[in-house]
Order: sequence, then structure tokens, then C-alpha cells
Amino acid sequence: MSFSERMLKIDRRIIFLMIGLCTLLPLLYPVGLPIKISSEVRGVYDHIESLPERSVFLLSIDFDPASKPELYPQAIALLRHAFRKHLRVVTMTLWVSGTGMADQLVTQVAKEMGKEYGTDYAFLGWSPGGQAVIINMGQDLYSAFPSDYSGKSTKDLPVLDGVRSLKDVGYMVSLGAGRPGVEEWYVFGKDKYKFELGGGCTGVMAPGLYPLLRSGQINGLIGGLRGAAEYENLIGQKGKAVAGMDAQSATHLAIIALVIMCNLFYFSLRQQRG
Amino acid sequence: MIFLRRQLPLLITLVTGLLFAAQYYVPHPASEQMLTSATKWLQIVGGFALILGVTSLFHQHAVKIRRQEAGWGYSLVLYVGMLGTIAVGLWTNGKESVEGTMTAFGWVYNYMMVPLQGTMFAILAFFIASAAYRSFRAKSREAAVLLVAAVIVMMGRVPLGEYLIPLSGDVSSWILNVLNSSVRRAILIGVSLGAVALSFKIIFGVERSYLGGGKE
Repeated sequence: MSFSERMLKIDRRIIFLMIGLCTLLPLLYPVGLPIKISSEVRGVYDHIESLPERSVFLLSIDFDPASKPELYPQAIALLRHAFRKHLRVVTMTLWVSGTGMADQLVTQVAKEMGKEYGTDYAFLGWSPGGQAVIINMGQDLYSAFPSDYSGKSTKDLPVLDGVRSLKDVGYMVSLGAGRPGVEEWYVFGKDKYKFELGGGCTGVMAPGLYPLLRSGQINGLIGGLRGAAEYENLIGQKGKAVAGMDAQSATHLAIIALVIMCNLFYFSLRQQRG
Repeated sequence: MIFLRRQLPLLITLVTGLLFAAQYYVPHPASEQMLTSATKWLQIVGGFALILGVTSLFHQHAVKIRRQEAGWGYSLVLYVGMLGTIAVGLWTNGKESVEGTMTAFGWVYNYMMVPLQGTMFAILAFFIASAAYRSFRAKSREAAVLLVAAVIVMMGRVPLGEYLIPLSGDVSSWILNVLNSSVRRAILIGVSLGAVALSFKIIFGVERSYLGGGKE
């Protein structure tokens, strides 16, 4: 067996170890390279900046704990920004397995920003039906969510004063890790009920949402951990996303190095075999 | 009986299909009220679908355990996990915390479900790296183009990549915004036209496989 052949059949545990170290070391010894802000992320930020105080900001936390590392920092940054702008924040989820996590997330950020439940923010919880919930909210928000997550009547929440349906929402962002997510919010929500929509998603999903972004169907897109890091930089409050960028840089470069090596060995083997 | 099994479902599909396709273009209050009612039904049906799904899952795994098929131990774990979670969920009224104190249901969610799902997703990074090393080879011209594009996008999406090759960020952005968007849009249009054609076939009873028993 030639060297190239041996290298192509390298024990995968060596690769696992390499990726493990590339993740761990930058987390222990951060470098803090500068992060360039993309126009996609700035789109979401600028729109929230342009909203007048007490506008209604709807955040749909459409992910479960599997996507927590990428989408949780996005949600935290968005909530911090919205609370800082004194917007009325209404949150919900279309993913039943993400309900508990979403509740903790909203409560944690609201507490940190000194906001009061019912007056400044609310968590509506989860309702079955996926895209049917979006249409129902477009028709009558109180029919889709008669009560919030804690069981209080949504009609009695001051944060929802003057809000009857999605048409009364100032800005809506869906942080989606799949279906239902950003695409459903556009197709079943924005297209019919005409509210401004932004999106956030995992890194692997982002390329699929670019057609919506380029056509103006969504006015901004926060893609993966990188998007979250950009948003943290924009609001000037660095968190887990910025901390994770060094690890992501190292793993990306490690994978690129592995791909280049594998191709070098492959071509060398092909040359040997004629 | 044939009327109930075949003709009635086809008639319901035809009427509701045409009605709701037309509803989108009619902003009359009666039409909007009809949509509100229908979506309420959909939400209720969605709730029942959840029960149906859980029942079906229970049944499937019960059969596996009874017959002691390969991997029946995993089915047992699923049974214990699901029944245990349902029991604590009912006991705590579905609340993860009461007055700031974590309930048993909250404990299951926070210390079992969250780390398990997180671990499953995190493991992907290791497998992707291993799979990339083994299979991402420039075996053809098309594969080489894909490989170069992937390397540029991977470089351009991280600060270190942009630091080493400053142009990679802009090139990566161009690939995503222009090449990727146009191809995705073409695929989306194709898929959407296919969905419209299939919807018409279902509404007019040409496609009947959803009734079960194949084509007649």
C-alpha cells in the first residue's frame, strides 16, 4: 500500500481529534479577529433601528434545542436590540419541542433588560397547525392564541393593545431551523397580510433563503453563528456568537486543509496507477 | 359504499380545493370569515394529528418489542422515555417551572432533551469533516467547480478566512447572492409549477392515490 493510499484510508478518529482540537483550543485561547458586517444582517438591524418606540415586534422562535448553538445567540441579540429600542416584543414558536427553551430565552433577556411581562413583552407559546397558525394569526391573532404560555388571556395583555392580526405588527422576524420557518412566514404570512419580514436561520439553511432576500420578500437575513456574531457586533454587546467565531474559523480552515490534502493524495494515486 | 369511499372524498376535494383557491382573490368579509373558520379547524385537526402520530409510533414500537426484532432495546428506551415524559408532563400540568422553581418536566427538558439534541447536532461537524476528507474529490470538471466554490464560501464566511484572503468575503457573497440565488430561484419556480399542476390533478380527481388503493 502506497503512502497516498494509506493517507486516503486514514483512521477517521484522527480527523475527529483534529476537529475537536480546532473547536476547543480557540474557545480556550480566543484570538478575536474582526468580523465584517454583511448587508443581509444590517437589513434586519436597520429596520429595527427605524421602528418608533412601542412598535410591535413579533419574534417567532422556530427552532428546537438541536439548533440552539447557532440560533439562540441570534435570538438573544435580537431581543436585546428590540428591548433597548423600547419596542413591544411579542414572542411565540411554531416548534413544540422548542417551547420551553423559547420561554427561558425570552424570560432571561427580559429580566436582564428590566422589562415587565404583559406590558413590555409576552410569550404566546406554541399552537398546533404549523402554517395554519400563521394564517389564523393573519385573520385573528386572538383566535390562534386565545391565551399566552402561562394561561393568561391574550386579550388582557397590554402589550397587545391595538393588535388584532399580523397586519398590525411593525416588524416580524422568524428564526427558523427548518419547516415551518422563514419560508412559511413569507408564503402564508407576509404575502397576504403585508407586514415587514426578516429572517434568521442556521448556516446550512442560509443559501436556500437568498432568493427570498434578493427579491425583497425578506428584508434581511441572519445566517448561522456568523450572522449572530455580526448582530452582536452591531448592537455592541458581544456574546457567545462572537466567542464561537474563532472556533468556527479554525474548523472551517481544518476542513479546507483536509479537502486539499485528500485531493492531493487522490491525484498522486491516480498518477501512480497511470 | 363506493359513493362514500370514492365519490364523496373526490367531491369534497373538488369543492374545497376550488373554493379556497378562489378565496385568496376575494377580500370580502364573508370570504375572510370562511378562511378564519377553516384555519381554526386546521389547528384542531393539527392537534389530533399529533395524537394520531404518537399512537402510531407507540403501536409500531410495541410490535417491535413483542416480536423482539433487531434493535428492540431502542424501542424499549423510546417507550420508557415517552411514557415517563408524558407522566411527568401531566403531573406538572405541562409547566417547566412554577414560581421560578424547575418542575420534573422542566428537568427532563433541560437536562435530557436539550443536551441530547445538542449533542446529536454537534456530532455532525465531526462526520462532515470525515465525509469531506473521504469523498470531496475533484473527479470531474463539475466536481472541481463545486469544490472550488465550497472552499471560497467556507473561507469567506469566517473571520480568519477573510483575514488570510481579504477578497474571499466579497467573492463568497457574490457566489451566494448571484450564482446560488439564480439557481435556487429556477429550482423554486420549477417546483412551484409542479405543485400547481399536482394541485389541479388532485382537485379534479386525476390524481387519486391519496384515497388509498392506487389508481382505478
